[in-house]
Amino acid sequence: MNATPESPARSRHFTLALVGNPNAGKTTLFNALTGLRAKTANFPGTTVERKVGRLHLDHKQVVVVDLPGLYSLDSKSPDEKLAADALQGKLEHTAPDAALVVMDATNLERNLFLVSQLLELKCPVIVALNMMDMAKRDGIRIDVTKLRAELGCMVVPVSARNGEGLDELKYELNRLVTGAMPEAVDHVDPKCAGCTGCTFQARYEWTEQISTRVMDAATVQRSVWTDKLDDIFTHPVFGVIAFLGVMLAVFALIFWAAKIPMDLIDHLFATVGNGVSRMLPEGDLQSLIVNGVIAGVGGILVFLPQICILFFALSLLEDTGYLARAAFVMDKVMRRFGLPGKAFVPMLSAHACAIPAIMSARVIENPRNRLVTILITPLMTCSARIPVYAMVTALIFPHSPLKAALIFTAAYAIGIIAALSCALLFKHTILPGGSKPLMIELPPYRVPGLRTALLHTFDRAMIFVKQAGTVILVISLIMWALSHYPKSEAPAAAVAMQSQAGLLEKTGEQTKADELRVEADRLTAQYSLQHSFAGKIGHVIEPVIAPLGYDWQIGIGIFSSFAAREVIVSTLAIVYGVGEDDSNNTSLYDTLRRAKRTDGSPVFTTATCLSLLVFYILAAQCLSTQAVVRRETNSWKWPLFQIAYMSVLAYVAALVVYQTFRYYGYA
Amino acid sequence: MKTAGQTANELIRLDQLPPRLCAVVRHIETDDEEMQRLKTLGVCLGRRVELVKAGDPLILKVFGSRLGLSAALASHVQVEVCQPDHCALREDDGA
Repeated sequence: MNATPESPARSRHFTLALVGNPNAGKTTLFNALTGLRAKTANFPGTTVERKVGRLHLDHKQVVVVDLPGLYSLDSKSPDEKLAADALQGKLEHTAPDAALVVMDATNLERNLFLVSQLLELKCPVIVALNMMDMAKRDGIRIDVTKLRAELGCMVVPVSARNGEGLDELKYELNRLVTGAMPEAVDHVDPKCAGCTGCTFQARYEWTEQISTRVMDAATVQRSVWTDKLDDIFTHPVFGVIAFLGVMLAVFALIFWAAKIPMDLIDHLFATVGNGVSRMLPEGDLQSLIVNGVIAGVGGILVFLPQICILFFALSLLEDTGYLARAAFVMDKVMRRFGLPGKAFVPMLSAHACAIPAIMSARVIENPRNRLVTILITPLMTCSARIPVYAMVTALIFPHSPLKAALIFTAAYAIGIIAALSCALLFKHTILPGGSKPLMIELPPYRVPGLRTALLHTFDRAMIFVKQAGTVILVISLIMWALSHYPKSEAPAAAVAMQSQAGLLEKTGEQTKADELRVEADRLTAQYSLQHSFAGKIGHVIEPVIAPLGYDWQIGIGIFSSFAAREVIVSTLAIVYGVGEDDSNNTSLYDTLRRAKRTDGSPVFTTATCLSLLVFYILAAQCLSTQAVVRRETNSWKWPLFQIAYMSVLAYVAALVVYQTFRYYGYA
Repeated sequence: MKTAGQTANELIRLDQLPPRLCAVVRHIETDDEEMQRLKTLGVCLGRRVELVKAGDPLILKVFGSRLGLSAALASHVQVEVCQPDHCALREDDGA
């Protein structure tokens, strides 16, 4: 203990907790006060986020903690409960030194409810009366001096979005921090808790009295636009149509607009990889750096454009107030499957990539609902499955684009149906309760803040790169090692070809020599993969996958695609000796079609192909997704459960498909 | 539509309140977690509410905010419809 614990000169930083109702503009004010220096982290042991930033006042630095929005201190919802606990010092760290309460000036009466509770705590309080610009526009006049007198604490009118009043707020905060603001502690005690009867009623009577005394709302013109827009956006038919339109636009953005930067990133890493391979001598180190590290980092960063676009769009939609309407209008449909209305957002985004989709499940407040949504999201057909679908459809219907397109569509439908069925199954088994009855605030429509959206996007991107990225990198290094070790000697045929090529070079037949060298490299790659750990694993799992119609070579492909599904195409190309860099897939498809089992029968029959397709629709072959699920659920239990249930589902479905088609003679 | 002829203390269920009429919450049947939350959001005894949009879910106006609410929850709340002579919605009386 310090000798003078109350001394303002103590070394520990002053902590200021930012509290307020949801939609009161807390995050905007936080961003305005702290800027880019903020860090996002979960409350220890939970998946509830808090943001911590630093605010520089004259000669002091203040730690600002942005707590989740809350309506009341005794709320039961996990986010609100944590915020209330943090404020009262019930969590492992001490209570904040002061609370900066953010109030929505356009909704004084409701916001005063929380203020009345906060005034009863011992914590020093200062109030930021936010959204003054909106209040002015709506014709609400608030007598701030009177409100200060009523609450007995400092009230600063601000408009966080355009920076109005921030200087005054900082000035007052400085007074508070330096201990020059006695009214922060010595405020009015509303004494509502002691009243008999309904405590809510007593509190609301208090807020009503105060707001009547300080507010002049004679000329309220609010919500004309909100009324008109809500007529459309909450309409049972037009609302759904509008929602589908908005979501499709977001989807198109993720899918198409991200394509250019993704190709660029891909290209960049390929170029860097090529450059490094020329600089380093051939061997393990070169392979580790090029195929392990560079390919691994590239594999992480390639997701960034999609993640950024999705979170930017979602932040804008949330800020406008539209996302609450989407939840409102979709609630009834999704409820049947035990999902909330907002589950539609991750489910649609997952058609591009499950990783940003799972991260976006945070728009769902209820933890049970969020968990179910996270569990089923990877069943949607993501873009990584498309190369596999393309390969399989080309093998089954090489000459019929129409039939191939039908199979493609069916594959997408199977993913969606499987996801909804699983949600229903979880509702009746491990995650009962279904979706809670809808109760959601529909905030007034607002022009979204670009700064908030950009900061949010930046924040999500950093979380992805730091937390998911490192896991993904480790996984790709492990996969690299498994497919490169143990090292095997080049096969005799390849050695013979190399020496023959050397002879040809001497006689000046360069093209022939090059062809031979390529062929030799191809053989060596095939041989070393077949004899690596991955190859051995292929043999080990063959008895298990044989009932699905797969041989050990497909087994290598399935195993290698646990890091990322699309890898199976390039792995099969190596295993079946087509060559890694073959840009033209037709030669791969031809080779696969000619591939024979040991008994001479073809490997890729219709039954095997369909079984493989179903397996790839349903299986959890993306450890990057599981890394993100671990972060979002804060436990290994759920990602492991997800792998387990999806694998069982995929295995059983593929088994049924293969055996059925074989029975009817398609094998 | 309800008219001014009814008695002042006649209670109806919130989900059956005709749109655009203001009403005062008089009775809340259950007191579970959901209802606690509803009270926190302002639907508690003595508060004025207005139905903006009927249906399931419905939209309710409480103070300055709008609340999307499932009809099942609303059915636990009983309200007294304000009469033209003593309706006291904040927007009308000018505080």
